[in-house]
Amino acid sequence: MRALDETETRTMFTKLASYTGASLSNLIAPPAEGSATTERMVFRLVKDRVFYLPERIANFATSIPRDSLLTAGTMIGKFTKTGKFRLNMSSLSIIAPHARVKCWVKSNGEMPILYGSNVLKAHVARWSEDAPEHSGCVIFNQNDTPLGFGVTARSTAEMRKLEPTAIVVFAQADVGMYLRDEDTLFTT
Amino acid sequence: MAPTKGSSKGGAAAGGNKGSKSSTLSSASRVSKSSKGAKRPPPVEVKNKARTEKENLAKKKKRVYTEAELDLPKLNSITPVGVVKPKGKKKGKVFVDDQEGMMTILAMVNAEKEGQIESKMMKARQLEEIREAKKKEAEARIAEKKGKLEAVKDSIRQKKKGGKGKSDDRKTTSSSSSGSKSSGKGKRKSVSFA
Repeated sequence: MRALDETETRTMFTKLASYTGASLSNLIAPPAEGSATTERMVFRLVKDRVFYLPERIANFATSIPRDSLLTAGTMIGKFTKTGKFRLNMSSLSIIAPHARVKCWVKSNGEMPILYGSNVLKAHVARWSEDAPEHSGCVIFNQNDTPLGFGVTARSTAEMRKLEPTAIVVFAQADVGMYLRDEDTLFTT
Repeated sequence: MAPTKGSSKGGAAAGGNKGSKSSTLSSASRVSKSSKGAKRPPPVEVKNKARTEKENLAKKKKRVYTEAELDLPKLNSITPVGVVKPKGKKKGKVFVDDQEGMMTILAMVNAEKEGQIESKMMKARQLEEIREAKKKEAEARIAEKKGKLEAVKDSIRQKKKGGKGKSDDRKTTSSSSSGSKSSGKGKRKSVSFA
């Protein structure tokens, strides 16, 4: 387990920034006075996976042999062998509060999303204004529970003219993966 | 050769000849000595030899060219281009674990992203405007075409109406005049199969 180097940090933040707004800085900001969590949060790399965890736990984790350490904190994603960064399903809880583009789906669209299919226009209840094409988007249900994230297929203006069966968000991950990919989600 | 080079022996000889009166005198005395033949200064010959000596040759090779100076094509060098690492740089990774460093990187990334999104939006807006303009133009063209068609239709209708009145008159006249004919024609021969 080690801290990220400069290029790794940049790559990871670039990916995160495509889903979140400027409030992403809250993730690494020092704990505010009187807030519930007083611990400093850090990013740590285990093999090729990046975890987000309190510094105290990160320091504890150094006492565990590298081969034995499976996970610590929240897994954000992993680095591919070509040096790119892939967000994991478990990062949803971190990016959802800071999402830049949001998409709320109707109750009839929840199940298709949880089974891994893309979001159709007919399922969309609300949509962020001024959302550009091919930008990261977090999908919520109507109770504001994050269901997954993906990439917008069309901009907001274009979406209005589409037919109801057209795809508006290409799904990348959804909470259904916890069941569907239970065996492979955290294997190293 | 020999007269130009001063040797210790020559100097000593000059000293012997009542000190140094003048250089010409001393040189003259040296020449006269060398002319005797037997005592030639050996170091002169040694110097001549030394250039071909191994030690001197080694000294000549002091200048060593670096690879950059030689201007060799990169691929012919022993180490591939991508593998060459800058000299004098510290090995290993530079970790970013302090808050300031992370914040700086994040701010840079955010600014970059904002710029990208802004440009994307601008582009999309411009495209949208162009599309709208084109749509309006197309609509106007269609409306114009439709208007023309309607006009032509109306003109045809009017023509027909005008023509119809005449034809009706004709019909009435023809029917009245050929009333007897039609009755006559009513008994036409027909063929039917049982």
